[in-house]
Amino acid sequence: MKISRAFAIAEKEVFHVMRDPFTLAMALLLPMMMVMIFGFAIEFNVKNIHLALYDGDKTAASRKVAETLASSHYFIISPTDSPQKAIAQIFAEKDRAALIINRNFEYNLFAGQGAHAQLVLDGSDNSTVGSIIGYFSTIQKLSYEKITKEKIPYMINLKTRFLYNPELNSRWFIVPGLMVVVIAVLSTLLTSLTIAREYENGSMELLLSTPIRPIEIILGKLAPYVILGFGSVTFVYIMARGFFEVPFRGSHLVFYGGCFIFLTTCLAQGLLISTTIRKQQMSMQVAMTTALLPSILLSGFIFPVESMPLFFRILTAILPARWFMEVSRDVFLKGSGVYELRYSFFVLSVICILMVVASIKKFKRDVEA
Amino acid sequence: MPFSLLAPRPRRFCIEPKTPLDFAVEVANLVVQFGDFKAVNNVSFKVFKGEIFGFLGANGAGKTTTIRVLCGLLIPTQGHASVAGISYDDITNTDRIKDKVGYMSQKFTLYNDLTVEENLSFTASLRKIPATTFEKRKQELLNFISFNKPIKTMVKDLPGGMKQQVSLAASILHDPEIIFLDEPTAGVTSASREKFWDLIKKLARQGKTIFVTSHYMDEVEQCDRIALMRAGELIAIDSPSGLKRSTFPKPLYELYPQRNITFAEAESLREGHFFESFEAYGQRYHASPISEAHWNDFKNKYASDFTIRAITPTLEDVFIRLVEGNDR
Repeated sequence: MKISRAFAIAEKEVFHVMRDPFTLAMALLLPMMMVMIFGFAIEFNVKNIHLALYDGDKTAASRKVAETLASSHYFIISPTDSPQKAIAQIFAEKDRAALIINRNFEYNLFAGQGAHAQLVLDGSDNSTVGSIIGYFSTIQKLSYEKITKEKIPYMINLKTRFLYNPELNSRWFIVPGLMVVVIAVLSTLLTSLTIAREYENGSMELLLSTPIRPIEIILGKLAPYVILGFGSVTFVYIMARGFFEVPFRGSHLVFYGGCFIFLTTCLAQGLLISTTIRKQQMSMQVAMTTALLPSILLSGFIFPVESMPLFFRILTAILPARWFMEVSRDVFLKGSGVYELRYSFFVLSVICILMVVASIKKFKRDVEA
Repeated sequence: MPFSLLAPRPRRFCIEPKTPLDFAVEVANLVVQFGDFKAVNNVSFKVFKGEIFGFLGANGAGKTTTIRVLCGLLIPTQGHASVAGISYDDITNTDRIKDKVGYMSQKFTLYNDLTVEENLSFTASLRKIPATTFEKRKQELLNFISFNKPIKTMVKDLPGGMKQQVSLAASILHDPEIIFLDEPTAGVTSASREKFWDLIKKLARQGKTIFVTSHYMDEVEQCDRIALMRAGELIAIDSPSGLKRSTFPKPLYELYPQRNITFAEAESLREGHFFESFEAYGQRYHASPISEAHWNDFKNKYASDFTIRAITPTLEDVFIRLVEGNDR
C-alpha cells in the first residue's frame, strides 16, 4: 500500500469533481434544495383550513362558537346561508370542512338538552381530517367555557406536556432527519458514478496496467467524497441551528461519529453499485432508488417506524438510514450519548463493516481476475 | 496512400534469440475461458526482443484478451506467459512485469477533463516516477511526439490523432521495454496514422519491442512478423512476405470483368475447377489457379470476359484467405 498513489487518485478525483458541472451542482445544490423543500414545505401542523360555516341559530352562543374558530387562526371561514350551500362548498372543493349550527342551539344548550352542531369533513385527505378533529375538540371545550363562563369540570384532568419539543415544532423533527437524507443521497449518488466512469471511459485499463493496488484506488476515490459529505452535513447543521433554530443538546463528537459511520456505509454502497453496474447512467438510477426511497420512506423520517406493518418494521432493521435517523434526532433533541444510543450505533457499525467488506471484495475480484 | 507506408522496407535486424531471456514475450498453451466461451484457445508464440510484432484477427478473435493477459490485467485459465523474461506463473511477479510493460488500450484511456500535463503527471504518480525524472521524461516525450500545443490544454480539446500520441506518451512514461498497442490508430486520419507509425518505428529503433494490433493492412505490412488469430486460435505466424509466400505459393491474378458477371457465375467460378481461391474485391476478383494447366484452361474459356493482370498478393489477400476464407 502506497499512500502516494491513493493521493494521486484523490487529487485526480478532485479535478473531476471541480470540472464537472453536474457533480459540483449536485454536491452544492442538493443539500440546499433538500433544506429548502423539507425545511419549509413540510408542516405537520395544518393551518389555513378552509371551513364553510352555516349559523342557523344566530344567537350570542352560536356567534361565540364562530368567534372561537376565527381566533384559533387555523381556519379560513366562509359563511354560507344554508346547510346545503355549506356542503356544496366541500363538493366544489372550495372548503375542506363545513360546520352547521342548528336552530335552537343556544336554547337547547341552556335548557340542558344538548346543543347540536354538525361537522362535515372531506374524508379524502386523511392527514388534514386528523388535524381538524384535533382542533375541534379544543374549540368545543373553549367555546363552551366562553358561552357559559364556567369551567368544564373534568373527571380526569389530563395535562399534556411534550418533552424535547414542547411546541411540537415540525422543523425540530424534520431538519435533524434531513441529515440522513442528504448524506444518503449525496454520497451514494456521487460514488455510484466514480468507478463506473473509469470503466466507461476505458481508463480503468490505464489504472490497472500500473502497479496500483485496488485498495489504493478505493481509498483515493472515496477520500474526496468523505470530505464533501462532511461539508454538506455541516451545511445542514448550520442551517438547522442558525436558521431553523433547532436545539442541539448532545455532543458534537457523537454526532459527527455517527455521521462518519453512516457516510462510510453510503459510500461503500455507491461503490458496490458502481463496480457491479459499470455504467454511469444506470448506476445513478440504482443509487437514487436504493438511497432516496429508504431514507425518506422507511427511515422514520416522515412515517414512524413503529406504525409500519410488521414486514416493513423488520425490513427497516437492515437499513442504515433508519438507525442513523435515531442517532441524529436523539443527539439533536434529546442530547443522547453513545450509551443511550448503543443499539443504534452497534447495528449501524455492523451494517457499515459488512457493506465496506462487500464492496472491497467485489471490486478486488473484478479487477484481479 | 502515403508513399512511405507502401514502400517495401528492408527487414530490420532482430536479435536472433540465443537464450530465453532474449524473448520479449513467450506464450505457451495459453487458454482464457469466460464461462463456456474460450476467448483464447491453446495459443503459443514467441516475440523477439526489438521487433514490431503485429497481431491480426477479426473482432472477437482473442487479440485484446491475449494482450490483457500479457499486461497482467487478466489471469489466464491455463498455460504460461512470460514477459521480459519474467513469468506470470508466480502471481507476485505481476508488479515487476507491469514496470517493464507499457499498455495503450483500445479504448481511449486518457482523462478528457484533465490537461495534458495533469494526465501525464497522474500516470507518473501511479508509476511512482520521481519528480525530476518525470520533468525530464515529459519534455523528452513531448518532443518525441512533437507536441506543439500548450501543455495545459484539456485533452478533450486535442484533435484525435494528437490524443492518440499523448496516450502513447503516457503509456511509455516509465520507459518500458515492451509496448503493447491495442488498435492505437483506430478512428484517426490517415496522416495521423502515418505519423503514429513513424513513432512506432522510432521506438523500435531504440530497441523497444512493439506488440501491436491493427485493422489496417498497410500498417500491418510494416511489422517484422505477424501472428494471425481466428476464433481464439493462432492460425499463422510469419513475416509479411513469408505469409504471402506460404499462403499463395502459386501466382495470383486480378480479374476485372468486362461484362456483368452474375452472382451465380461468380459462384460457379469459385466452386469450379480452375482456382484454389477466388475472392471478390469490390467489382474485381483475386484468383489463384490450381496449376498452370488450369489457368490456361480458364483463359481459353473466359479470356474475353475479364481483363487479367498478374499481381503480388497483399496482406489483405492473405487475411481473407486465411481468416475469412475458412469461415465460408
